[in-house]
Amino acid sequence: MAPRRSHAEPVPTATSGGATRAWRAAWRREPGRAAWMAIAIGSLCAMLGAWAWATRPGGAIPALFLPPPGDVAASFVRLVSRPYLGSTFGAHVLSSLDVVIGGWLLAGAVGLPLGIAMGWWRRARWIAFPLFQVLRPIPPLAWIPLAIVWLGIGEPARIFVVFVAALVPWVMNSMQAVHSIDGLLVRAARTLGASDRQILTRVVCRTALPTLVAGARIALGNAWTTLIAAELLAATSGLGYIALNASRTLEMGILLVSMLVIGVLGAAFSFGMQALARVFAPWSRGART
Amino acid sequence: MSASPPLAPPSARPRAAVPAALIVGAASIATLVVAWQVVAMAGIVPARVLPTPLDVALRFATLAVETFSGSTLEGHALASLTRWVIGAACAIALGIPLGVALAWLPPLRPVIAPAFELLRFIPPFAWVPIAVLWFGASTTTQALIVFIAAFPACVINAHLGVSLVDPILPRAAAMLGAGGVATLRRVVLPVAAPSIFTGVRIAFSNGWMALVGAELVVGKQGLGFLISQGQINDSVTTIMVGMIAIGALGALIDFGFQRVERAWLPWLAFGAKRAS
Repeated sequence: MAPRRSHAEPVPTATSGGATRAWRAAWRREPGRAAWMAIAIGSLCAMLGAWAWATRPGGAIPALFLPPPGDVAASFVRLVSRPYLGSTFGAHVLSSLDVVIGGWLLAGAVGLPLGIAMGWWRRARWIAFPLFQVLRPIPPLAWIPLAIVWLGIGEPARIFVVFVAALVPWVMNSMQAVHSIDGLLVRAARTLGASDRQILTRVVCRTALPTLVAGARIALGNAWTTLIAAELLAATSGLGYIALNASRTLEMGILLVSMLVIGVLGAAFSFGMQALARVFAPWSRGART
Repeated sequence: MSASPPLAPPSARPRAAVPAALIVGAASIATLVVAWQVVAMAGIVPARVLPTPLDVALRFATLAVETFSGSTLEGHALASLTRWVIGAACAIALGIPLGVALAWLPPLRPVIAPAFELLRFIPPFAWVPIAVLWFGASTTTQALIVFIAAFPACVINAHLGVSLVDPILPRAAAMLGAGGVATLRRVVLPVAAPSIFTGVRIAFSNGWMALVGAELVVGKQGLGFLISQGQINDSVTTIMVGMIAIGALGALIDFGFQRVERAWLPWLAFGAKRAS
């Protein structure tokens, strides 16, 4: 929801009953950039203020339900400065990142070639697509108990679950990307004497690149979401583990800090992948999935 | 590369190819199931780790009539469905008006956008520990997680649908004497309806996924709870029955939504966006 011009034209105001009309028109107009920022910052400050006021000592909301903002800041300092649950905060974050990147890359290594093959050779699609249609409705989280029974409570189980979560978007988007390429391009390349291999690498994969990157972004988002759930169930380190432990020991500040860090990292992944798309496929400004 | 790939564009495929695709697909699934049965029977991996498909089917039948962890398979499914519908209904009831308001009244955007964007990136499951502290292991907790998972899809798609309405239409309505509310109700919302409905569909599917996660962590009933109990009891067949039930219910309801969409909103759903 970036600042954007509304489609509504400003209604002319200088007629009879001008005041109410101007008031109505103002509601149908996008505020200017400066006003937008001012309102946004004001809204954030108001929410922070309301939070601080409601959770003040003797306020309406007890600290065990929602701690005041000051407590959360103090918890953040405490988490960063001293080890929590056996390792430093940085180590917990790294442990989460390790698993998510590992599982995501592994899924990409399998899913990207598979998806491209499924988009390109219809026999590959006939064989593999029904399998994915059957497996796709099962949420990745539902694999967690199976992963624990098969692989135990450790990193392999988490990597497996992240792999399953990331595989489907990798495959489906790659297939879609290759499948929906304009046949004219392929025929033109063939007319110009390109071999099959050249058509696949130089025409198809390049045209499909924006959608491939979009698939990678969705896969990473899914992987992150699933990892947090996996860490709530089977982990001895990581951000989800911190969150679960903090809720058991009623350390509300630490719980909120871990949630915020999870959200910030998720946003960073999303924006990072969008930046990557602009670097790799700068012609695809509009093509966001 | 050697096996002469069909380079004709996929769109130019002849119609007769569809049955062949069906046959190959069915054969591929059948092969997988048979291979699973053979591997499981061959005893390379212990049955505790990989039961045969037949075992899973038998367990399915058993769970449908016997109680396991408090209720039968249907009971668990019903518990899950109840929470799902409550959470998703709340998300729809709050999210669609909010999305429409954000698109129709631009000054609201800077008020809502900062908090919305901040909270949107926290995955629904990250709310589970705090939701448990707030509401205990109750239906409210589960419904809250469903709500959190479903809400952004409703808001984003309603917002998108309304802001993609051709500006000519509200202006034409205004010229013909329609007031703001009438324009919104009679002109803008019907045009935006397909996108809004897609948002509802995504909301239900996101909510289902999140619910499974929530039930794995807390609760005493539900399909997610069933598979976590299967894990504790070291019963892979129970886990697999639960997974199949979850997948089948999710697919069934999504299919139902697609049918309803085609029946109620025959015009095309355009530009709808999946909330991350």
